[in-house]
Amino acid sequence: MTGTGEQVMFWILGPLAVVGSLGLVFAKKAVHAALGMAMTMIILGVFYLAQEADFLGVIQIFVYTGAVMMLFLFVVMLVGVDSSDSLVETLTGQRWATAVLAIGLGGILGAQVGKATVGQSVGLAAVNAQTGNVSGVAQLIFGRYVWVFEATSALLITAALGAMVLAHRERLGRGPDQKEWSKRRFQEGKHLAGLPAPGVYARHNAVDTPALLPDGTPSELSVSRVLTARDQNLSPSTYTDGEREIERDVREGSER
Amino acid sequence: MSTIAALPGLVSLVAEGTDNPRADFSDTPLWLSLVKALIIFVYLLVSTLLVIWFERRVIGRMQQRPGPNRNGPFGLLQTLADGMKSMLKEDVRPKAADAFVFTLAPLITATMCFVSFSIMPLAGEVSMFGHTTPFQLTDTPIAVLLVLAVAGVGIYGVVLAGWSSGSPYPLMGGLRASAQMISYEIAMGLSLVAVFLYAGSMSTSQIVSAQSGLWFVVPAFFSFFVYVITMVGETNRLPFDLAEGEGELTGGFHTEYGSMRFAMFFLGEYINMFTVAALATTMFLGGWQAPPGIAAINDGMFNEGWWGLLWFTAKLWMFMFVFVWLRGSLPRVRYDQFMRFGWKFLIPATLAWVVLVAFFRAGQNGWLGGTVDVAGRSFPVVSLALVGIIAALALAGGWMWDARVERREARLHPHVPDEIDPYAGGHPVPPMPGQRLREPSLTAPALTSRPDTEEATRG
Amino acid sequence: MPAVFQAVTVDYVAVAPMLIVVAGALVGVLVEAFAPRARRHGIEVVLTLAVLLAALVVLAVWSRDHLAVTVGGALSVDGVALFLQGTLLVLSILSVLVMAERFGGVGSDAFTPMGASTPGSGQEDAATRAGYATSEVFPLTLFAVFGMMIFVSANDLITMFVGLEVLSLPLYVMTGLSRRRRLLSQEAALKYFLLGAFSSAFFLFGSALLYGFAGSSDLKAIAQAISSSAGGLDGLLLPGVVLTLIGLLFKIGAVPFHSWTPDAYQGAPTPVTGFMAACTKLAAFGAILRLAYVGVAGNRWDWQIGVVAIAILTMVVGAVLSVTQTDVKRLLAYSSIAHAGFILVGVLAFSKAAIGGVMFYLLAYGATTIAAFAIVTMVRQDGSEASHLSQWAGLGRRHPVVAGSFAFLLLAFAGIPLTSGFTAKFATFAPAVASGTAGIVMVVVGVLASAVTAFVYVRLIVLMYFTEPVDGVVALPASIGSKLAIGVGLAVTLLAGVAPTYALQLAGNASQFLL
Repeated sequence: MTGTGEQVMFWILGPLAVVGSLGLVFAKKAVHAALGMAMTMIILGVFYLAQEADFLGVIQIFVYTGAVMMLFLFVVMLVGVDSSDSLVETLTGQRWATAVLAIGLGGILGAQVGKATVGQSVGLAAVNAQTGNVSGVAQLIFGRYVWVFEATSALLITAALGAMVLAHRERLGRGPDQKEWSKRRFQEGKHLAGLPAPGVYARHNAVDTPALLPDGTPSELSVSRVLTARDQNLSPSTYTDGEREIERDVREGSER
Repeated sequence: MSTIAALPGLVSLVAEGTDNPRADFSDTPLWLSLVKALIIFVYLLVSTLLVIWFERRVIGRMQQRPGPNRNGPFGLLQTLADGMKSMLKEDVRPKAADAFVFTLAPLITATMCFVSFSIMPLAGEVSMFGHTTPFQLTDTPIAVLLVLAVAGVGIYGVVLAGWSSGSPYPLMGGLRASAQMISYEIAMGLSLVAVFLYAGSMSTSQIVSAQSGLWFVVPAFFSFFVYVITMVGETNRLPFDLAEGEGELTGGFHTEYGSMRFAMFFLGEYINMFTVAALATTMFLGGWQAPPGIAAINDGMFNEGWWGLLWFTAKLWMFMFVFVWLRGSLPRVRYDQFMRFGWKFLIPATLAWVVLVAFFRAGQNGWLGGTVDVAGRSFPVVSLALVGIIAALALAGGWMWDARVERREARLHPHVPDEIDPYAGGHPVPPMPGQRLREPSLTAPALTSRPDTEEATRG
Repeated sequence: MPAVFQAVTVDYVAVAPMLIVVAGALVGVLVEAFAPRARRHGIEVVLTLAVLLAALVVLAVWSRDHLAVTVGGALSVDGVALFLQGTLLVLSILSVLVMAERFGGVGSDAFTPMGASTPGSGQEDAATRAGYATSEVFPLTLFAVFGMMIFVSANDLITMFVGLEVLSLPLYVMTGLSRRRRLLSQEAALKYFLLGAFSSAFFLFGSALLYGFAGSSDLKAIAQAISSSAGGLDGLLLPGVVLTLIGLLFKIGAVPFHSWTPDAYQGAPTPVTGFMAACTKLAAFGAILRLAYVGVAGNRWDWQIGVVAIAILTMVVGAVLSVTQTDVKRLLAYSSIAHAGFILVGVLAFSKAAIGGVMFYLLAYGATTIAAFAIVTMVRQDGSEASHLSQWAGLGRRHPVVAGSFAFLLLAFAGIPLTSGFTAKFATFAPAVASGTAGIVMVVVGVLASAVTAFVYVRLIVLMYFTEPVDGVVALPASIGSKLAIGVGLAVTLLAGVAPTYALQLAGNASQFLL
């Protein structure tokens, strides 16, 4: 027995949920995929709410928003801020084969399942009024399914233990402190006064502009290795060229 | 083989659907619900306008300056002027930003913050346009969980804003916000469990009516303590505003936002403050019910109808003042300290507290033995025993802690002689507190003692 | 639903072995948290073995008199469940003995000192020097055993699913903790995890459809719904059965759901490979037996032909591909695929004798395979496992006992008479022949596949005894624990070959599901 309001809501949100799940599969940016998943999960929660499974619906939203948030963090930390999928096929023809198989499986399942005729749905209204929604869920969890519920804790402990084993890197020994660094620097006898600062004095002082040595060549040491590796350093030649021009002007002026 | 029989006392707890809402919406037509939604919306917007002015004025007083006082009487219209300004400003979007998400993020924040208020009972039964209806938009058996769920969705606004801005500081702010809110949401949810245990329901109307005898702030005092801390963490307010700490991250997640988009975040933050404060009021301070003394006047006259709105608003603004007060007086905490506090203190302590409350409740229901009469009132034996055990443990723990601190002190400050020779090490040394100076010996110090002291000063 | 809460009755004696195992796992986690690092390995090994032994004793002495469907119908502790749980406990004791092997080092030799360190980095060496050891594998093993015990006694699909996850998750972690060839190990763990997640999804999808069909996840209720179906919901039944079976066939590594097996078996630390090959396979077959016999036997004419095809495919592919392998662990992996096919033949016979035969096969194969992998851990070249076949050349001349034991185990895999392999195959194939044409076809294919695998094993034996030894390949002297495990494995293989009566009788007596 579906009310009109519920039907309207379903036909608006249902396609959105499908769009979200397709987005999860096809979005190129991992973050967009995570967003699509969050949207689908929230809409599913709303559906549960509409079907009078209040507790389940709200827990669905509560749990999955947090879970997708974690996914989001992992995407940002592991994959990078704005990385997108590489679309190179490692196995040739794999994508087409996958598509054909997936559509085939979906078609067969859909055809089979579609043959089923369901009767009138009972709904939860009676149970909710009599037992209460939350108490009803509690009776199932702590009654018939208590073994499963308790066994799930083993799952969670395993997950925590696994995360610690696979990801927790203990610090072995102590890293050198500032004093030891300075001692080491003096023992090596190089850069006693520290590395040269970046920037062309009075012209530009950004970290991506290498300093100039007395002979006019840029100093590699003055800029971050990361910027050098990424090829993001500016060339100081614009400033040195300008300077040369001024020097020439001065020389020409004095010769005149 | 052993069997757990159905516990006899459970019957009283699980009577017919006690977890269902108490509020009766049978006399509320749809249009009235819409009217109530509008009223709540306006109530929140007006409160936001006021609270921004309030905050600036109060902080101004705390810092011995007047605060905004030009626009309107007492500067009351200052926020309105600011709002108009941000609406008229140019809408800037960074080139590196992800256009869709960048627009979506403030919308999420600004819309989600209103949702939670739909389950807050602003007052009891009132008569509105000829209908008698509870002054709350709706109530469900899981109303309080709905607030947490909506807060969970609301975080997306902040995190997505940080990510979509396409620059480092907002990203860091967004990541901090997500870690922070998820960590503190756990402690917050746990702290509310004690209230659920006492009220036997998660519906706000049931919780409020369960407090007609005694506000839950008394039996669930530790939960209240934890909740107040986590609500500050949850709303990103000082001293926990690490997601936007301007000293470290310029503006955090909203660095790249300006004009109306920024105003939406601003609005969201303040309405979230109202939401968490309203939840604290409902869960711990009796909701819309009158304070104990006033409630007894004239057979509960002040506890009915529209009076509830007054008490509710008063309690709400008390929390607002606490927010402002905290901001005016506390420095921002460091991020690692903040996380350590959340994970290593708040969550375990709250867990232990919830278990304790469960035992108390079981004792009250008579599942764990009988009761004894102490000073004219009957208490369950278990509760008294638990209190005794905890007191003993606290005493023993405190004693051990003290002993340890003393030992450490003793190690850090080895015994100082009562009397010192100021020239013993070769050059004059002032006495430690409580030390007496020996008459300085004018002869040269003994050469043998020299290397010792040198060693000591170097170390 | 009643307004008053009714707690379910729990037959605590019947579930005591499981409770003991999970309690031991929890204590193990606490040991990890609080015991000093230097003593953790010893404490964990003793604790794990003690817990498993205690569970076995409780099961053998008390639980067997408490056959019951308990905890509200979530668990069915019947003869099959008890036999499989007991076998599981025995096999996991052997596995733990092998896992504990240190070869003179600080921690288990097979496991990396620090799972999180970058493979080949200085930090790994530093962790080794500092005496780190991943002794967390022991509580993880206990959790896996707990999941397997649930899995073989699960009486409804939800319990079965949770059991599946509880047993799989620790294995995913343990697969990635190999001390040597870390990158391979991590890759194996990831592949195993991803494909395992897929299989779980299939299982869950199928369970949902079956629930939709029967209105209950209880196996008995599903069986009743099948027999009394009015026809309206029949469309849900076959897809549900097929998808749940696919989920379970993934776990046993049946073709075409086998692709994770060689990679995971090769990459995992060798003792874990042995544990997976013996115990996971046993648990998954236990679940398949229960689902097929108790739950969905009613419409088996609809789906049996598909599983027959899978069984044939599994035997053929497993046998043929094992011929081409050059790595001992991969070879044993493909052999385990072929064995999964043989066992599946027995499952499809649908008779009481078949249950006994399958259970006997699982016991015999498990003991043999754990001993075989234990021997693989011992054979080394330059400190790392000599897993390439060429390195095994001439091993029989240098280490006659080790090579002789391995050869005997290989003969058992091949199914040569006087080993457990022969009696087990006989016990499994005989009911299949009796079951009808499909059974006979499968048995013929099975015998041919055995012949192919026998060629592989004999080739390896020839390699060990009749070729010149390779320089530098040695069999490390094993500790008493490993020796015990290998000895028990050999003894079971031999006894089940020469005097199988007792074990067969035990399995036969236990082969009754409780409905």
